[in-house]
Order: sequence, then structure tokens, then C-alpha cells
Amino acid sequence: MNSFVKQRWLGFSLFVVLSGTAIWLQARWFGTVLRLSYLTGWVLFAVILCLTLYNPRKKLPFLPLLSSEAWLQFHIYAGLLTGVLFAAHMSYRIPSGLFQTILACLYVLVMLSGFFGLFVSRALPKRLTARGGEVLFERIPAIRHALQDRAEALALKSIAEVKSATIADFYSRELRGFFEGQRNLGLHLLEVSSPVNRLLNRIKDLNRYLNQEEQVMLEQFAVLVRQKDGLDYHYALQLVLKTWLFVHIPLTYSLLLFTMVHIVLVFAFSGGAQ
Amino acid sequence: MKEQLPPPDFDANRYERPNQNWICGHASQGHPCRVGPDNKGRCRATFECQPLLELKEGQTIGRYRCTRSAQHGGPCDLGPLPDGTCRRPVPKCNPVRSLRARRGIVTMCVIVLTVAVLLIALSKPFRGRFISPGPLSAQHGTATFAAMAAAHPDRGGNACTACHQTETEGPNGWVRSAMGARPGPLQIRVLASAATPVMTSLDQKCLVCHSGHSFHQPNVAEAHSCSICHQEHHGPGPMSAPVDANCLSCHANSEAMETSLVRAKSLPAGAFDYRPEKGRVLFKAPRPERGYTKIIHSFASDHPEFQILAEKMKDADALKFNHQLHLTTVLLTSGKKMTCAECHKPDAAGVYHLKITYEQNCKNCHKLQFDVNNPDLPLPHGDAAHVRDFLRSLSAQYADFGANQKKIIARRELETFVQEQLKQVSQQSGDGEALERRVFFGDARNAPVARIGDRNAIGPAQFPGCAYCHMVSDSGKEIPQIAKPVIPDRWLIRGRFDHSKHFKVACITCHDAEHSRETSDVLLPSKSTCVKCHSPSGGVANNCSTCHGYHSPTREDRVLADKR
Repeated sequence: MNSFVKQRWLGFSLFVVLSGTAIWLQARWFGTVLRLSYLTGWVLFAVILCLTLYNPRKKLPFLPLLSSEAWLQFHIYAGLLTGVLFAAHMSYRIPSGLFQTILACLYVLVMLSGFFGLFVSRALPKRLTARGGEVLFERIPAIRHALQDRAEALALKSIAEVKSATIADFYSRELRGFFEGQRNLGLHLLEVSSPVNRLLNRIKDLNRYLNQEEQVMLEQFAVLVRQKDGLDYHYALQLVLKTWLFVHIPLTYSLLLFTMVHIVLVFAFSGGAQ
Repeated sequence: MKEQLPPPDFDANRYERPNQNWICGHASQGHPCRVGPDNKGRCRATFECQPLLELKEGQTIGRYRCTRSAQHGGPCDLGPLPDGTCRRPVPKCNPVRSLRARRGIVTMCVIVLTVAVLLIALSKPFRGRFISPGPLSAQHGTATFAAMAAAHPDRGGNACTACHQTETEGPNGWVRSAMGARPGPLQIRVLASAATPVMTSLDQKCLVCHSGHSFHQPNVAEAHSCSICHQEHHGPGPMSAPVDANCLSCHANSEAMETSLVRAKSLPAGAFDYRPEKGRVLFKAPRPERGYTKIIHSFASDHPEFQILAEKMKDADALKFNHQLHLTTVLLTSGKKMTCAECHKPDAAGVYHLKITYEQNCKNCHKLQFDVNNPDLPLPHGDAAHVRDFLRSLSAQYADFGANQKKIIARRELETFVQEQLKQVSQQSGDGEALERRVFFGDARNAPVARIGDRNAIGPAQFPGCAYCHMVSDSGKEIPQIAKPVIPDRWLIRGRFDHSKHFKVACITCHDAEHSRETSDVLLPSKSTCVKCHSPSGGVANNCSTCHGYHSPTREDRVLADKR
């Protein structure tokens, strides 16, 4: 059993045990411990704070504080545990006040975005591997630009070498837009390849009207189109892998702010307020 | 599939810096400058190299040499200008933010937006509606309450400040109030403890309207916080019942119970007799020496046995009644055995049972037919004097009976009938005095009628004498004294009980009437019988407030007690 599997089992086991304990304690103490919701609230807040430490930890890789992989496992299972604690804190009821509803919605959004992140970080790398090739996300614009340059050069070359503007016209009409930027972002996420197939079919349709020399050139365009499509595919999926944090992290800060106000309000307006 | 991606036509080992906030504007064209933008996003591009002045030994004037690295093409052909300026300036760019920097901006925007929303929502016009954790209960969510709050001089003019003084103080005041709360936010141990929550300023606000409200028994150690029990803002319905922890904060606290015990000793016994009878007959068990200060954690675990059963108290009722006999051997006119419901009928609400009366519950079977030959001429019931008068006017009673019941019209015939009846009664019971004694003092043992209730027979029982059912004493006066039966409506007066909620349970499940032969038997179910259902394992409500009320006496009870 490798260390990742060990960590996963350890995390899952701890999650099950701690969740069961939290549910059992809530059921046992509900009605017998007067301020049970205060206690579950503090525990929930503490766990959420621990979860937010994952982001600073990633920024301080030089600190000897376990591996990032271990932190991620902790983040996942502790995040799941907050779901149980959250339900226990709310006594399994739906909040009714505006502030509390917003707070609960923020928590749910953070939780859902976390689930989405977990899903995409598990599913998309497999799809990228299946598609083949490796490319750094930051280098994709440069590679895309290089591909565009190569396509432009090939179009110009076709005029000079075969003394015909057929391929160049076809490039201007059908392919230039395709090479200019990211295309079919949403369709790539849905594994829909009809746009590139349509382009390749048009190339194939044109092929019958060309002489042998032109056909060789057109075949090079087909290769470039496939490469560009693969690049777009990588860009689309990697973009999702990176941008789900645009929701998860900002909402986490929003959640923390609302939580702190919630704590102040609870104590300022509770029975203990002087 | 791998051929679908273009081969990298640049140095694959070049270091990407996604953590930097700014990226060279030429990076997307595949030829970023060497230095990249500064941390404020300004382009730092100048020249491809910084030429180096080379001096040979002994010379003062040297030559500038191109220092462009091999990674960027090595030294250029033309080399630097004579003044040491590089010939190859790097074109300026417009640096762009990295994805990480954009995420940071989005995060900051969301934080600012959140703070703005909070500041606006917590400002005075929106504050109340925004922070309210939910609608008030039916008791406090009315327009009447809002109007009362607005009109009251101590209440700050709105429904929120009626209870929450801090509402007007704004966020700064809230933080101060939160930090000054008892227990405070960081007093985790106190929050987790089961100490009695005492009255706070919030609770004092309750007393503005709920004035004169009495709290629990007179010897209560400390008045319990109102707001801990009665939790508001949980919806527009009725307030939810207080949880057990409120009761256990004292009743599971030995210190609080000892304080109550000591306080009780200084109070007169009458101080605890505050429960108004409200037309009911209550069985008032004497207060135990230690009061009700036993440590309790739950009904199922260590709630004491009901005092009446624990102290083996007896039913002091003067009526002689054998439940076993009635339930097991007596047959009704329909031929069926008797059931509890034949006598114990619920009242309109179903909470109590209707009072047992001779007319309603006994007469059908126990007609006072003192004369076996004239069963339709019964004795009157309810007053010994009336019985005596009836017996002493027996000839008139027979005459009336003959005329009305037997339809004897002729006078002579009626006189004959009366004489015959008097004679046969005399034969049955002796002279008038003997008849009176037989009627008043006759019972199953000494009555001339041996078959009482005529077991296994159908029809009304024959009348043996008043003493068969009642305690009859010869007080030396002319009329024997018949003790009036007193049947309590409630045996456990410190708890509530609603029979209608237990209609699915057979009577004998709780009341062991089938084995009770003596009136003195108290047919209350034991605690263990209740626990079978009213426990966590039984699955039926088993919290304190299921049976008990904290405000005992209630204000209404207190007023009634004062009138007494």
C-alpha cells in the first residue's frame, strides 16, 4: 500500500470516526448541555480555520510542516467533517434569519466549490492523460502563437511553391479564426469534438480538388489543426483546474468574515450579554 | 495521440514563474524578455545585454564585449557600440497579470464587497431585519407586542430593543458587549459546563412585562435565566419546550440541591402548598424530609420512583371497592365482562376522567333493592337521613309504589298490597329497627342476601346493605354516619398527565386493576412502567417538560393561592 493510499484510508477512517462521534455526541448532549450550539460552533470555526491554513502552507513550501499531499488529504476530509459539524451546529434545521441564511449559503457554496474542485482535480487529469501530451498551462499562449505563425507561414508558402491561392484562400476563409485564439472552450469540457471534425472534413473535401503537391501542404494544415485542437483541449481543462479556486478561495474569506460577525452577534445578543 | 500537441520549439527547461504577479507581455508570443516586469507591473526591458569593458594589462582604453548569454543566442555579431551601449534594444511590452494575481484581485474584490455588504446591512436602517436570526414566536411576534415595546419608555421604541439593549449601540457596542458577555466567547469551559444560567440583563427585560411571575418552588436556589429556557427567533410558531439541560443545571447539581434543601427548612410548610385545586380532588402527599432534592440526570436513569409508590402510601378512600372482582367475574347485562371504560369515562378534553358517581357508574348494577320481592322499589342514595326517612315511611313508600308501578287503583286492594309487603319485608329483615340496621350495616357477611353481585349471573346485584360499599359507623346518633367517598382526580400533582395521549395503551398496561382487591391499593403505574415508553429506548418523549413545568406555581396559580 503506497503512502497516498495510506493517507486516503487514514483520512477517510478519521473522517468516519470523527463524524460518527460528532453525531453521537450531538444526539447525546442535545437537551442536556445548555450551550451545545456554542461548542459545536467553536469546533466548526476551529476546523474551518485549520482548513484555511492550507493556502498559506502552499505559499510557505520551505517550512517542514508535512507534505502538501498530506495537507490536501487533511483539507478534503476535514472539509467533509465540517459538513457534519455544520449540520450538528444548526441542529439539523434550516436557518430562518437573513444573516444566518447568507452565512449558511456561503458555507454551502464553499463546500460545493470544494466538491467541484475535488471532482475536477480527480477527473480532468485522467482526461488529459487519455488525450495525450503534456503542456504547461502558462506556455499554452506562446505555443498557440507559434502554431498560428506556422500556419500563416504555411499559407504563404503554398502561394509561392504551388503557384495557387487555393490553400491560402481556404486558410483565410476557414482556418485563420481557428488559429487566432482559444476555441470551443465549453465544448472541450463536454468532450464534444464536432467543431474540429467539421474543420477536418472541410480540409478533406478540399483535398479532392488539389494536386499532389497541394495535398501534401493541406495535410500539414490538418496536422496543425489537430495540434491546435489538442492545445485548446488542454487549455480548457487546465483552465477549469485553475479557475475553480477563483470561487473557492474568495468565498472562503467571505465566509470567515461573516462567521466572525456571527460570533460577535451571538455573544452580543445572547442571554449572556450584559 | 501525443502528436496532437505541437512539439516544444523553445527551451523546455526555461523556468516559468506562475507565482509572480506580472508576466512579460511578449510571453504569449513565445519570446518573453529575460528580466520580466517588476513587481509593480512595469516593463524593465532595456537591452539584450550589458556589454563588459575588457582592458588588457597596461592599457587604459579597452573594448566592450557583448555578454549575451548562450541561452539567448550568445554574443551578437556586431557587438556593443564603442561607448559601451548594446546595439540590440529589447522592445518594450505591456506586462500582464498572472492567473494567480488575478485570483488575488478577485479575492480582494470579494472581501471588499463582503465588508461593504456587512457595513451597509449592519447600518441602522437595515440592521434589525438583517441580523434577526428568525421570526419571533407566536407569543412575541404579534403587532400587540411590537406596539407595547414601542410605547414602553424603557424599551427604546422598537421590538428589538425591547429585549436587546445592545441593538442600538452599533457594531462597536456589539463587540464590547460580546467580549463582556458572561460566559464570554473565549470562556469555553464555562460554555461547556452545566452551571445554572442566572438572570442577565436580557432576562430582566422579560420581567418588564412578565412582572410578578413566580419562579419554580419557593426554595429554588437561584432564579433560572429566562432566555436560556425560552429561546426566541426559532420561527413564528409557539416557543419550543425548554430542554432538559435547563432543569439539570440545578437538579443534577448537588450544590444547588443542598442550597434548596437549606432554604426549604427556613420556609413554613404552607409555602409549598400552593397548587389550587380548581375543582379537582388532588392527592397531596406529605413533603418528604429532604424535599425534592434528589440528584436527577434523566427520567429513565435516576428519576426517583413516584413518592406514593416509594413510600407505599395507601388510598384512604372510604369506599370499599374490589377492582379485581369487577373486572374478572362480574358480567354485564349484555353478558360481557366489565371493562375499565364502563366506569372511567374521559372528560371532554380527555385529560381527566369524569368523576365516579353512584348514579352514573354504580346504579345499573347496584340498585338499592332492599326488598327482593320488589326490586323496582330501591332505597334512595346519597344521604343517610333520606334512607332512614324512607324506611320509616315504608308503608307510604309501598303505597306509592303500588299505585305508580303496579298500577293498583282500588284503595282496598292497595291497602292489602301494602300490608302484604310490610309483612314479607318483616319476614325478611325483622321489625323496623332490624330492617334499618340491616340496610345500614348489612354487608356481604351478615346480610340476608348472600349472593352479592350474583357472580356469573346476569342482572343487577342484590342489595346487602350500605356497609357493603361504605364505611358506616354507629355514631350513637339517630342516623348512622356514612363516610363520603373521596376519589382523587390526580395522584401525582407535580406532573402533568393527559389520558387522551395514552389512548392507544390499554388501561391494564399501566394500572394493575385486575389484581387489586383492596380500596387502599394505589393503582398508579410505577416509574419503570412509564420508562418502558418514555425513555430513549422507548422512543417516546422523555424530557423533563413532558411532565413538569418550571413555573410552578404559575402566576395564575399564585393568584388563586393568594385568594385562598
